[in-house]
Amino acid sequence: MADYERRPHGPRGGRKRRYRDDDDYDRRQRRRHEEPLFVKVRRQLLTIAESAARRAEDDAIHIAKTVAENYGDDEIRGVYLETAIDLVLEQPLKIPFIAATVLAANVLNPEPVSELLTRAGEALQGYINAGAWREVKLLLRFLGCLQGILEGDGIFPLLEEIFARAVDLQTASSEDLLGLELVKIILFTLPYVMASPATRFETHATALLEKTDIIASTPHALVDLVDPFCLTEGKPAATESVISLMQKQLQGESNRSWELACLPRPWKRIYETLEAQKEAQDEGAQDEEEAESASTTAPGAKHAFPQVVMPSPVGHGARAIFPEIYLSVYANQDIETVPPTSDIASSLLRDSLVDTINILDFNRIATAKYLIDVDCYFTPNTFVKRATPFDRLRELPTDRPQWKPEDVAVDAVFSQLFQLPCPEHKFIYYHSVLTECCKIAPAAIAPSLGRAIRFLYRSLESIDLDLSQRFLDWFSHHLSNFGFTWKWSEWIEDLGLPAVHPRMAFITGALDKEIRLSFAQRIRGTLPDPYQELVTEGKEKDTPDFKYMSDTTPYSNEGKEIMQLVRKKASDEEIQPFIDAIEEQAKSLGVEDPLIPSTDAFVTAICFVGSKSLSHFLSCIERNKERLLAIGPKSPRAQRQIITSVMDYWVDQPGIGINIIDKLLNYTILTPLSVVEWALVDKLAAGTVLAKPHVFEMISATVGKVTNRLRQIVAARTQPSLYEPQLSVLDETLKREKTDMQALFRVIEDSIVSVAGGSNDELMERGDGSGTLPEDEIIRRWGQRWLRVFRRKAGVEESFIVEALVGAAPVGTVALTPVPDDAAASEHAPLNGNMDIVEGDGGK
Amino acid sequence: MSTLSHHTVERLDRPSAYYVGKNKRRKYSHDEPEKQEEPTDNLKNATTLYVGNLSFYTTEEQIHELFAKCGEIKRLVMGLDRFTKTPCGFCFVEYYTHQDALDCLKYIGGTKLDERIIRTDLDPGFEEGRQYGRGKSGGQVRDEYREEYDPGRGGYGRAYADDQRRREEEDYGKGR
Repeated sequence: MADYERRPHGPRGGRKRRYRDDDDYDRRQRRRHEEPLFVKVRRQLLTIAESAARRAEDDAIHIAKTVAENYGDDEIRGVYLETAIDLVLEQPLKIPFIAATVLAANVLNPEPVSELLTRAGEALQGYINAGAWREVKLLLRFLGCLQGILEGDGIFPLLEEIFARAVDLQTASSEDLLGLELVKIILFTLPYVMASPATRFETHATALLEKTDIIASTPHALVDLVDPFCLTEGKPAATESVISLMQKQLQGESNRSWELACLPRPWKRIYETLEAQKEAQDEGAQDEEEAESASTTAPGAKHAFPQVVMPSPVGHGARAIFPEIYLSVYANQDIETVPPTSDIASSLLRDSLVDTINILDFNRIATAKYLIDVDCYFTPNTFVKRATPFDRLRELPTDRPQWKPEDVAVDAVFSQLFQLPCPEHKFIYYHSVLTECCKIAPAAIAPSLGRAIRFLYRSLESIDLDLSQRFLDWFSHHLSNFGFTWKWSEWIEDLGLPAVHPRMAFITGALDKEIRLSFAQRIRGTLPDPYQELVTEGKEKDTPDFKYMSDTTPYSNEGKEIMQLVRKKASDEEIQPFIDAIEEQAKSLGVEDPLIPSTDAFVTAICFVGSKSLSHFLSCIERNKERLLAIGPKSPRAQRQIITSVMDYWVDQPGIGINIIDKLLNYTILTPLSVVEWALVDKLAAGTVLAKPHVFEMISATVGKVTNRLRQIVAARTQPSLYEPQLSVLDETLKREKTDMQALFRVIEDSIVSVAGGSNDELMERGDGSGTLPEDEIIRRWGQRWLRVFRRKAGVEESFIVEALVGAAPVGTVALTPVPDDAAASEHAPLNGNMDIVEGDGGK
Repeated sequence: MSTLSHHTVERLDRPSAYYVGKNKRRKYSHDEPEKQEEPTDNLKNATTLYVGNLSFYTTEEQIHELFAKCGEIKRLVMGLDRFTKTPCGFCFVEYYTHQDALDCLKYIGGTKLDERIIRTDLDPGFEEGRQYGRGKSGGQVRDEYREEYDPGRGGYGRAYADDQRRREEEDYGKGR
């Protein structure tokens, strides 16, 4: 038996020694013992099609033979059945190859196949019941690949039934999204059925496609909401949902007798090989080795499609469904490096890659490896050779596609990072996948990322504002993993643009974020000369100046005294006289709200004393929180002065300021409303504030805090077995906080809408008052982009609450069997009406 | 949505071999038969991470900036030299939820902060005293005997550097 060394770069391989301190132990063991057969089967299955150096077909036959010949062995049986299904669910790229082992096994021994079908059916039923539609899609894909060995119409009756449910849902509501999801499943199953060895199903497929057309091609009302581009100009392509695209592509394929060029057909070679082996055996039948294997002719016995019941109506799982839009960061290049949307390969490749990415979030290194290896899982020559430089593509013959595997892979990751309203995982997961890709194949991936960055940079004016923020965040984080190297020189010309231009906003925002992850001096060193002035001296100062040190600052004496007292950890009573002194002076000067200058001095002093680190700042807050907490209820304007003082003190390092604001929100020293009013009313500055990335970050974070909290309340309110009196308490809380949230969104809407419409008074008064300066138009656009983001957020939250409450117990529901008091109390301990669910203890 | 009992690839959100090994060793040496619990049981709901291989110069703000990408940070405790009370290259990051801590293992562990590959490990929770280095000279143990020069972590290992200096002094005679 060939001794398989550990693959040097495998996701389970020995490369990651740091994760496996017991490596030595492991290796000694391996040397001593022969690998048991079932271990080998598992390993071969797990790694099927991974290597370009081996034929997946040969491995499939080998696995099939081992399983078929040793099926009496419980371990082999168990390992095969379990691993095959696990792979289908976790590594979608391998489904055609897993199916190939089944097709091969069926020629040799139908027993494992019928058992595997039963298992797949059970799993399918479970996922259907749970509303886990991605898993349903993957299992159906697997079964679709096996259509050739299924009795009768095989998978089609179930597809028809799924379609019937989709129709029910669509008929019931024009806003329905679950029906679209079901249609998507059908559309993404069909190509695999048609690329399977099964024949004579063309009419079935075409008939089904005719039916899905009406649902798939009707644009959903929410498509605009999730469109990555918000302004019509500069949009690379018309917005089309993933399913309407797929519908068209499939119709195209049906007219081309289902060519489906990119889908692998490993079964072809497998059937040929098995036939040849059978013939060879038949000739040498007199041999004593009259092997029973390959005793039948392909495809072997037929099996009934597993029993699966579609419930009516069908439900859906925890994840909210939104329409999906096909986004490519390689659109409109002069050479096509990814499949165009006219080619079904665009959808098929994207779908498998996106599922792989989202399923394998628990091992980004494995994900990256599969992405890099994408060319192994599709028809050979679908792509050009890995790491072919973009410029070399021109020299290649143009009679076949020039798709770069790394572009296709990177594109899929960006499609998720830029998914609206939000991707399945945290943004940083997608960052980490790109980082790993770059580590595994720097020469291949880095240039692809470069072109993606250029596309996104060029799109900055038209891309959704949420996405441009994600781009900013990814860009700076990515560079921080690779020595902060970027070809800044290519954007030098743009440094002449006005500060409010989206490109300038991006450049300053990116530098700020880089500095936050590193330090100013380091980042300065990575920048060409023209950028140097963007890294101001103030950014290099660890401790910004305390303005009261200058005697020209009003109240400078009191300011200094307060600062000394804060530093000495003096008591509140000791500080009070100086606060009073400021307020009296202010009054005598005719200041309307004397609490404002005293708050300024006090908060600025805390910022200065706490400037050493966030911990220092927080312990200052902790000591002085009573005074700070008292400000808001006395004067909303003084409360907003807290923010002004913090942001003024940290004006050169707004990241620190934002962080502090966030903590002050946790302490309830600030309210979300105060933060929003501060930025969008007090500091609106005729809308120019909207061009500042850190302000968008601050408002998004504040809104995020509110919506998160509301979602936690909803989760508490909708938990099963919740009864009175807790039910009413939670319901009250929910109603109250929901009203607050709506009020918050209204303030945002009201203040931005005037900027977006160009009717903001100050905006009108800018310059010559005509409102027609070039910058005025830029600012109006900022307004429109802000508005779009926060309207979407408001809409998403609103519908989340409505949907979540559908199945919740109504107020007044009483427990059927009275629960003993103490048991009930402990069960609902955190929900006793105080609602301190992650209230945030101030991050002490 | 993955609920499989076996995964087809390793998970990155498990406690490290170091943690499991450390607790195993401890269990055996104590020889307490009634303590049968798995070493990783107390990590079931862990929200804290130990973060290692930081530069001595990495600030709280930098750590915050990166780690907040996995969720809101509840508390951040810098690891300090026992004697000088200056950062000595590790910290504890506490999140509000277990899931955020797991995501941090998956998405941040093994990536760079301040241009160093950092290490993250699930931790049962910070306790007073654990913020100090356990090495003889006040820093982390690993910085005592390190033979490689690491400018981000005080140059050579302290014990190693002392040893070198002694040898040099012997070679050249005291007082130069």
